[in-house]
Amino acid sequence: MSALLRAELLKLRTTRTFITLVSVTLVLSLIVVGLTAILSDDFTKESVREMFTFDFSSLFILLLGVTGMAGEWRHRTITSSVLAAPDRLKLLTAKVISYAVAGTVLSLIVTVALMALGTLILSLRDLTTLDLADLADVLWRNLLVAALLGAFGVCIGGIVRNQIVAIVGILIFAFALEPALLNLALEVGKFGPTTGAPSGIIGVNPVDNGELLSPAVALLVMIGWVGLGFAVTAWMLKRRDLV
Amino acid sequence: MIRRDGLRRDPRPAQALRLRQRRQRAELRVAPGRVTGFLGPNGAGKSTTLRALLGLIRPTGGTATFDGRRYEELEHPSRQVGAVLEDASFHPGRTARNHLRVLAVTGEHPMGRVDDVLAAVGLADAADRRVKGYSMGMRQRLAIAAALLGDPEVLILDEPTNGLDPPGISWMRRLLREQAANGRAVLVSSHLLAEVAQSVDDVVIIAGGEMRGRGTLAEVLGGDEGAVTEVRAQDPERLASALEQHGHRVERDGASLLVLGTSPEEVGVIALEAQVALTGLAPRTRSLESAFFALTGGES
Repeated sequence: MSALLRAELLKLRTTRTFITLVSVTLVLSLIVVGLTAILSDDFTKESVREMFTFDFSSLFILLLGVTGMAGEWRHRTITSSVLAAPDRLKLLTAKVISYAVAGTVLSLIVTVALMALGTLILSLRDLTTLDLADLADVLWRNLLVAALLGAFGVCIGGIVRNQIVAIVGILIFAFALEPALLNLALEVGKFGPTTGAPSGIIGVNPVDNGELLSPAVALLVMIGWVGLGFAVTAWMLKRRDLV
Repeated sequence: MIRRDGLRRDPRPAQALRLRQRRQRAELRVAPGRVTGFLGPNGAGKSTTLRALLGLIRPTGGTATFDGRRYEELEHPSRQVGAVLEDASFHPGRTARNHLRVLAVTGEHPMGRVDDVLAAVGLADAADRRVKGYSMGMRQRLAIAAALLGDPEVLILDEPTNGLDPPGISWMRRLLREQAANGRAVLVSSHLLAEVAQSVDDVVIIAGGEMRGRGTLAEVLGGDEGAVTEVRAQDPERLASALEQHGHRVERDGASLLVLGTSPEEVGVIALEAQVALTGLAPRTRSLESAFFALTGGES
C-alpha cells in the first residue's frame, strides 16, 4: 500500500498540473487577502478569521482530484495503473489518500502564506490580528477541508469518467446549485459537500439566514460524503471492464 | 503455463467482444526461451483472452490463469508478467522516464531499472521528453520498456506491430527474438500471419473463441497430413500409380504431384523401383496463411 501511495504522489508531482495549481492558488489567495487587508479598515477577530479562510486551495484540490481520477480514463492510463496494481480497491484507496495528502500540503502552503501576509499588513496598519492559537485553529480547519475535498474530488472523477463533464458539473454544483440551496433551503443546503458542510467545519457562514452545522457534525457529514463517494467509485471500478 | 477454462465473454450491445462459452479447457503453453504466436482472425477473441488473463475484463464465465493463479492473485505481477496491449496509453504531459519511475515505485523495482529498460528499447536520449511529442513507434517502445521493467518471466504483446513502420516492425521482430533468447516466454498475438511466421517458434490459433490448433510452427505448417512432397517426373501418371500402390495419397498440382504424408526420400525410392525418371523432388510446406485458413475454416 505504501508503494502505491508513493506512486500516486509521484504521479501528482510529475505533471505540470500540480505545480501550476499551487502557483495559481497561492497567487489568487494572496491577492484576495492582501487587498482585503489593505483596503478594509473595520476588522474584528471574526472578520480576520474569515479573511484567512479565503484559501482557494479547497476549490483547486477538489478540481485536481476530479482531474486526477477522470484523467486516468481520459488518457486511458487506467489500464497500465491496473496492470501494475491489479487490486483496484487498493489502487483507489491510494489515490484517495494521495489527493487528501496533496490537499493538506497545498492548503498548508497557501494558508501559512496568506496568514503571514495578512498578519504583516494588519500589524503595519495597527489593526486587529489573531494570536497563534486562533491562527492554528483556522489552519487545521482549512487543512481538514482541503484534505476531504481532495478525496471527494477523486471519487467524483471515478464516478463521472468524462473529465470535462465532471469538472463543469462540479463547478456548477459548487458555485450555483449548492449556494442556491443554502439560500433557499438552509436545512438541506448545510449538508452539502462543497459549501455547506465545509463551511460548517471552517466555522464561517456564507449566508445569513440561519445556523450552519457545528464543526464536529459538519466533519462527520463530510466524512460521510467521502465514504459514500468512495463506496460508489469502488463498486463501479471493480465492475468496470478495461477494454 | 497460461490456462483458460471455459472462458466466456457474452456480447453486450456496446461491445463487440465475442468469446463465447466453450466446454473446453484450453492451455496456452508458453515455453521459456520461445516465442509463441497467438493467432486468429479479427474478432476471434485474442485481445479478449489476453485482457481476461490480465484481469482487465471480467469474463462472464470461465477462468484464465497463469500457472493456476489469476493475475490479481500474483504476488508481484510485474515481475512475472509484462504486458504490452494494443492501445498502450500514457499521460501526454509526463516524460517517459517519469512514467517508468511511477511504475517502478508501484512494482517496487529498483530505480536503476528505469535507465536499463530505456536503453534496451532505444529511448535513452528521449527519456526526458514529454510523451505527447512521441511518435507511434516511440510510444510502442515505451510500452515495451514498461513491460520489461520488472524483468518478467512472461512477456505478452497484443498486436505489437500495429501502426509501426517497416524499420519499427523489423526492430520489433528482433526484440521478440532477443527476449526469447534471454530466457523469457514470449506470447505475441497478431492477425498479420506473414509477420508472425518470421518471428515465432510455436503457434496457437483461435477462432470464434475456440482454440483450433497449436504446436510448433513446423507442426502447424505440416497440417493434418504431416509432410508433403512435391515431385515432377517424365511420366507422372506412372509415378502416381506407383505411389498409390504403396498407399500414398497423391494430388495433382499442375505439372507436379503432391504426395501427402511422406518424405522426398521415400518418394525417390518408389520412383526408382518404378523406373520413372524424376525432374524435380522437394519437400513442400504449407504457408502459415493456408494452415490458418484450414484450421479456422476460412474465417476472416
